[in-house]
Amino acid sequence: MLAYIVSLATFVGFFMLLAIALNLQWGMTGMVNFGIAGFYALGAYTSGILSSKLGLPVGLAMMVAVLAGLAAGAALALLSGRLRDDYLAIVTLGFGEIVRLIILNEDQITEGPRGLRIAEQPLAGWVSVENYPLLYLGLVVLAVAVAFALSETIRRAPMGRVLRAIREDELVASVLGKAVLRHKIRIFAIGGGIMGLAGALYAHYVQNISPDVFLPMVAIFIWMSVIVGGAGNNWGLLLGAGIVMVLLEGSRFIGDIAPWIDAEKLSAGRIILIGVLLIVTLHLRPQGLIPEPRYRNKFQRKS
Amino acid sequence: MSEALLEVENVSTGYGKIDIVFGASLGVAAGEIVSVIGPNGAGKSTLLKAIAGVLRCSAGDIRIKGETVANRPPSEVARLGLAYVPQEANVFRQMTVDENLTIGGWVDRGHVRERRERVLELFPDLRVHLGTRAGNLSGGQRQMVAFGMALMVAPSVLLLDEPSAGLSPKMVAEMFAAVKKVNATGVAVLMIEQNAIQALDISHRGVVMAGGEIALIDDASALLASENVSELYLGTRR
Amino acid sequence: MNLQLFVNGLVNASLIAPPAIAFTLLFGVLRFPNFAIGGYITVGAFMAYTANVIFAWPLVAATLFAMAVTALVVWLSDVVVFAPLRNQEPVTLLVVSIAFSLILENLVRLFFASDVRGFDIPLERPIKVMGARITPEQLDILMLAFAITVAVHVVLRFTRFGKAMRAVADNPVLAQVRGLSLRWITAGTCALAGAIFGLTGVFAGLDLVIEPLIGWNLTIPIFAAAILGGIGSPMGALVGAICVGMAEELTILVLPSTYKIAVGFLIIAVFLLLRPQGLFGQPEIKK
Repeated sequence: MLAYIVSLATFVGFFMLLAIALNLQWGMTGMVNFGIAGFYALGAYTSGILSSKLGLPVGLAMMVAVLAGLAAGAALALLSGRLRDDYLAIVTLGFGEIVRLIILNEDQITEGPRGLRIAEQPLAGWVSVENYPLLYLGLVVLAVAVAFALSETIRRAPMGRVLRAIREDELVASVLGKAVLRHKIRIFAIGGGIMGLAGALYAHYVQNISPDVFLPMVAIFIWMSVIVGGAGNNWGLLLGAGIVMVLLEGSRFIGDIAPWIDAEKLSAGRIILIGVLLIVTLHLRPQGLIPEPRYRNKFQRKS
Repeated sequence: MSEALLEVENVSTGYGKIDIVFGASLGVAAGEIVSVIGPNGAGKSTLLKAIAGVLRCSAGDIRIKGETVANRPPSEVARLGLAYVPQEANVFRQMTVDENLTIGGWVDRGHVRERRERVLELFPDLRVHLGTRAGNLSGGQRQMVAFGMALMVAPSVLLLDEPSAGLSPKMVAEMFAAVKKVNATGVAVLMIEQNAIQALDISHRGVVMAGGEIALIDDASALLASENVSELYLGTRR
Repeated sequence: MNLQLFVNGLVNASLIAPPAIAFTLLFGVLRFPNFAIGGYITVGAFMAYTANVIFAWPLVAATLFAMAVTALVVWLSDVVVFAPLRNQEPVTLLVVSIAFSLILENLVRLFFASDVRGFDIPLERPIKVMGARITPEQLDILMLAFAITVAVHVVLRFTRFGKAMRAVADNPVLAQVRGLSLRWITAGTCALAGAIFGLTGVFAGLDLVIEPLIGWNLTIPIFAAAILGGIGSPMGALVGAICVGMAEELTILVLPSTYKIAVGFLIIAVFLLLRPQGLFGQPEIKK
């Protein structure tokens, strides 16, 4: 039971990292990213291939994974940073699918649908095998804390204000002399890097990764987390990511205690539940569970 | 003011929760032209939008022929015989002039053909452009289409938001002549104008708005004669 | 050029064109990209399957049934799910619509499981035209898709309801001021689009196999076609569908067929970067 909770918490951690990254990109600059699965896969496979096939030390491989995410984020933002929201959605979704298709097809490198086995783990041998999952959870918590702190720092810094200006009105922001595109690229890259890190942590945790994990569905779940929790609010999205992941993974638990329920029906029911949760939350609390704190300006005082 | 076709009583309205117009009251009788003048930001357009049902009223009442229309959807207000011509985005840009006029007659479709003929008599320039997309017309022609659309239902109350905005002096005169012609058939007209003097010249009464409130309502001739008003709002000294 | 690939591309395009047109109609009136199209198409396919295989109705009756049910589902989803959220940002609505698509798809999975199914129709021998094979069903799809495209065009251009739809898409506030009831026109548009999605479900079930993902797999090509043609332009959506449908089939010449989905995306990406308003769309006017 404890092992189960530790594992669930670790998975929640991956989701939180992705949600923090998405919140940087969307919640704080208004840039849409539906290619989360692509960044996640990029991080996972970069770190996995470098450590298991090329023998790089795990720590170094994970760092390269972060850099890969950064670079992909910067490149994508550079190409499409000026696009309208719904168009950016489709371009990023396409990026995610193309990454997945390459992994699926280039099986000499990625092992394709067979799945890539990764024996290497960070800090292996520091603690006993039975305590290792706890250590790993600690590692994930540390990563979440660092990403969270980074995101909060950006939010509070003068740059956070610029980002909100970009989100509210691009024209105003550009007239104010802020280099809108440069900020967008920077934030999209940072978000991509965090997603890459999440992927790397995931890869070395499950130790067997295959393309069918990185479906566009991942992006949808992270989006739901951010919207349910409250866009623009870092605490809200931790809550959102927790709720969505617990519903996703936690309901597998029902299968263990009630084996007579057909697995397929269970997984269908789970997704229906999460979809309904999103819609009901938005109907009852349009700003999400924990809304973004209001930034006062002189125009709002009248109300 | 009991025989007024349009009655506005103590109306407060604005965008979202923020009111811009406070406690406005006025009435327009059949066959009357009332011009609303005042500086930018006085709340003139906001008041018109509230009458047309585009904005919600937070207080007060609006009646057309005695029937309350405040906070009813614009499509219902239109069916009661009110035609509102917004200042901007007042034509369907992707549709032809002919289609615009047809949509204009939406709530009274039995008379589309004869009314279109009347609109074309009023604005003969439009006749050759019937097949042109409204978005490709000149500003003046668009203004005519917008006005023409409103006439397709033979309204009893006409709300015009700056019908002369952006027009050449010759077109301004044409537009005012058209307003007068329509009014002569008994239509109650409430219009906002920046060309205050010209507007008051054809109006029976004038409403002066400032700071979201109605500062003064008087006969148009009295307003034109009043030194205070001309200094403050008409931009001229006599 | 290989005639068979051309024929396949055309059939592919006729699966994409009607729903792409329906998608742009919905977008014009609802003002957000409704990605629940996948769910709607799946519902259409399974309703037709239920009527055709379980109730043993003839396929034509089953198709009409599927169109009616899907129209109802699209309208109800707008009233219950989307209309109350109209003040949210379009991106939020986009996510909600994907979530709703997942709900529909998984409801179908709950009742029918993921088994692969087909309609109860006699197997017919493909027709050979100059060496290219085409099945009678594919021929029907081709002709019906073309007929629907023309019909929608005629409705938009010449009927009262069609003009009203265009007016609402053009300028919703002015349309209301002129007395058009947004609620009825939205309902009518939902019903029309829904009927087309239902029919697409039947087409897809005839040409491919019936399974819960049938709609989701078509979503990206449909969206690509709509974007390519300029969102809000039905004729553009048709041309877009032909481009995407052909491109997907022709990819097979140079790349493994698994890369087919990527083509839709690549077309969109390259195209958007060069011409953000689409082939026929008007440049957006900044407010």
